[in-house]
Amino acid sequence: MPSSQTPPAGSTAVDPTAVRPPIDDARIVRTTPDALRAELLALKNDGFAMLLDVGGVDYLERTPRFDVVYHLLRGMTAPQPERVRVLCGVDGPEPVLPTVSDLWPSANWAEREVYDLFGIRFSGHPDLRRIQLPDDWVGYPLRKDYPLRGPALERTPRPSFALKSNVAAGTPVFGKTAAALQRQIVAARAAEAPKDGEK
Amino acid sequence: MTERPLPLAMDIVERSDTNMVLSMGPQHPSTHGVLQVIVEIDGETVVKADPEIGYLHTGIEKSAENLFWTQASTVVERMDYLSPLSNAMAYILGVEKLLGVADQIPQRAQQLRVMLCELSRIASHCVWLGTGGIDLGAISGFFYCFDLRERILDLNEFSGGARMHPNYLRIGGLRDDIPAGFLEKVDELIAMYYPRMRELRALLQKNPILQDRMIDVGILGADDAIAWGVTGPALRAAGVAYDVRKAFPYSGYEQLDFEIPTRTEGDAYARFLVRLDEMDQSMRIIEQLRANLAGGPVMVADTKYAPPPKETIAVSMEALIHHFKYVSESFRVPPGDVYSPVEGPRGETGYYLVSNGDNRPWRVRTRPASLYNLQVLKKIAVGEFIADMVVMIGSLDPVFGEVDR
Amino acid sequence: MALASPGEFLLARVDEVARWAQSSSVWPLTMGLACCAIEMMTATAPEYDIARFGSEVFRASPRQADLMIVSGRVAQKMAPVIKRLYDQMADPKWVISMGACASSGGVFDNYAVVQGVDTVIPVDVYVPGCPPTPDGLLYAVNLIQQQIRRGGRGGILARA
Repeated sequence: MPSSQTPPAGSTAVDPTAVRPPIDDARIVRTTPDALRAELLALKNDGFAMLLDVGGVDYLERTPRFDVVYHLLRGMTAPQPERVRVLCGVDGPEPVLPTVSDLWPSANWAEREVYDLFGIRFSGHPDLRRIQLPDDWVGYPLRKDYPLRGPALERTPRPSFALKSNVAAGTPVFGKTAAALQRQIVAARAAEAPKDGEK
Repeated sequence: MTERPLPLAMDIVERSDTNMVLSMGPQHPSTHGVLQVIVEIDGETVVKADPEIGYLHTGIEKSAENLFWTQASTVVERMDYLSPLSNAMAYILGVEKLLGVADQIPQRAQQLRVMLCELSRIASHCVWLGTGGIDLGAISGFFYCFDLRERILDLNEFSGGARMHPNYLRIGGLRDDIPAGFLEKVDELIAMYYPRMRELRALLQKNPILQDRMIDVGILGADDAIAWGVTGPALRAAGVAYDVRKAFPYSGYEQLDFEIPTRTEGDAYARFLVRLDEMDQSMRIIEQLRANLAGGPVMVADTKYAPPPKETIAVSMEALIHHFKYVSESFRVPPGDVYSPVEGPRGETGYYLVSNGDNRPWRVRTRPASLYNLQVLKKIAVGEFIADMVVMIGSLDPVFGEVDR
Repeated sequence: MALASPGEFLLARVDEVARWAQSSSVWPLTMGLACCAIEMMTATAPEYDIARFGSEVFRASPRQADLMIVSGRVAQKMAPVIKRLYDQMADPKWVISMGACASSGGVFDNYAVVQGVDTVIPVDVYVPGCPPTPDGLLYAVNLIQQQIRRGGRGGILARA
């Protein structure tokens, strides 16, 4: 079965975002952390009023290691709506990107989630803290080197009350158990059935 | 228990000079799920509302990276658990685009997918309407709505095998053709739907208490909605007629005749009316599909992606080997990335899928409609009464499986 | 069964009546987490109607509830909250672990889901399913009622 602690096989030296069949889902723009804000601001001024999503991808063996992916939308009610995907590679032991939560308030939680799950910080974010996991969680789970089942903590041993039977011995049974119900049914059928030689 | 410091949920209520900081949730009677809202109130008025999420974080995206492409649709279905078929649809359409078979899906499969997704939409809106009513005290509406939902779950079970997460939509088409009698059941549903909606509208729409509690509550304007990334009925109630089914049509929606209900007021009542009208439009789509359902196969012909028919496995060696490989190794998806949205009941639910050529997804990033819809609560709750918090959360209709994933 | 005194017979009858009353009015706590919560809500809807088994109302306050139906996957952030709610419930109390995720982690064997709520609180009845049909939940409530009537942990005299 596929689920396991090790990251799945397959090389990411090939950048999947560069090798793709022709799919008409969005115009693709690749940028760098320094040019990110300028690029997004230019797109916003060009009419891309809605930031659909901010997500992260960990490519592990590629340089730069992470990709932060922004999806923007323009012309929602126009005859030809258009989507654009901005990919920004970021790397380093402490990856940092500028925030865009002042351009689009929707980025606030999305960037917090990218921080929570990948460890990519966003400079200038008003409230950068973990959002999905408890505040004291160590590690960034969606990174490819984070094991699926989490750090090897000792599993909580099953408490003893989960194993003991909770019907105290010797207590009188009140109410119909399955066996008593069965006896009642059998008795009722015997009483109903016409006896041989009668009627 | 581990020695971890208690989460924000368990902090003591603080009282500053005039404002009270209150923790609403994560367990509270309004049955929307595990949400905690830290509200700061000055008397009865909300000064600041800070939703705290993550109480249902399931690591679905990490799980999906360790499952085959065909298996990942099962965990992805459990995100927006009120309309599981919409999530599966978005994911599967994305994979089909990466495979390059998006235009080879048989028409019958596409139509049945759309029919089931629209039924899912009606079922989801039934839950929204029922629980929204309970929040306001209109408990009898809940029973009418859930009875309608039962008929739809019956159809799910009849076609797919399970009431809520059937995994009936597969990559390349459907798992199997619909059983005999399915279309007759759809006819029965169509016949009982309109009288039931009339009853519900009579019960709720002109109800003075409901109108008092919903009109002018939680107003969200069009510019704010766009800036905060809100999609779905909340955006359409603010005046922006954006619907993924019309803007980026998929799976045959361009041939269907339906409208996008839109309002301009942007308050909770407008969102209420938009969703009621959406249910009617969904039923209109279902009627059209029922009348024009094509015949033919329900699975793509390319045998690389389609499992062999079950009846051949016992008699043909090749079919047996094919089935074995399909189940134990699945197929490889060419490298690439794609963003594939659908119009779910909550708005634009999309998946950004990345493949590196393997038989497992490299990344399944969700565009969670409910996350962005819920985030705007920070904006619309300010200045409202604490008693209206529940109305506002209900009118935004978040599903925490999708918010937290 | 030989009785030592008539007094013991009287207490036994009071015990039975008390347990009958308890089992006929088990009020659940609204502990809906995920998809199973929707099926739990459906169990209160007219098709399945849990109210005919005595669960007329679902209490939101743990102080007023007898039964906690943990319905849905338990995330790491939610586990201490469930423990606190369980502690806040007054004795006698029972727990149903509804669904595969609450019973064992379900489909989600990963970092984020607690692998079975019985690592956090003691559970009386486990209901398999993903999600279980409301029929399954009703059967679980029936089993809880049988457990109550037999006595044991959670009975009126709270024997261990």
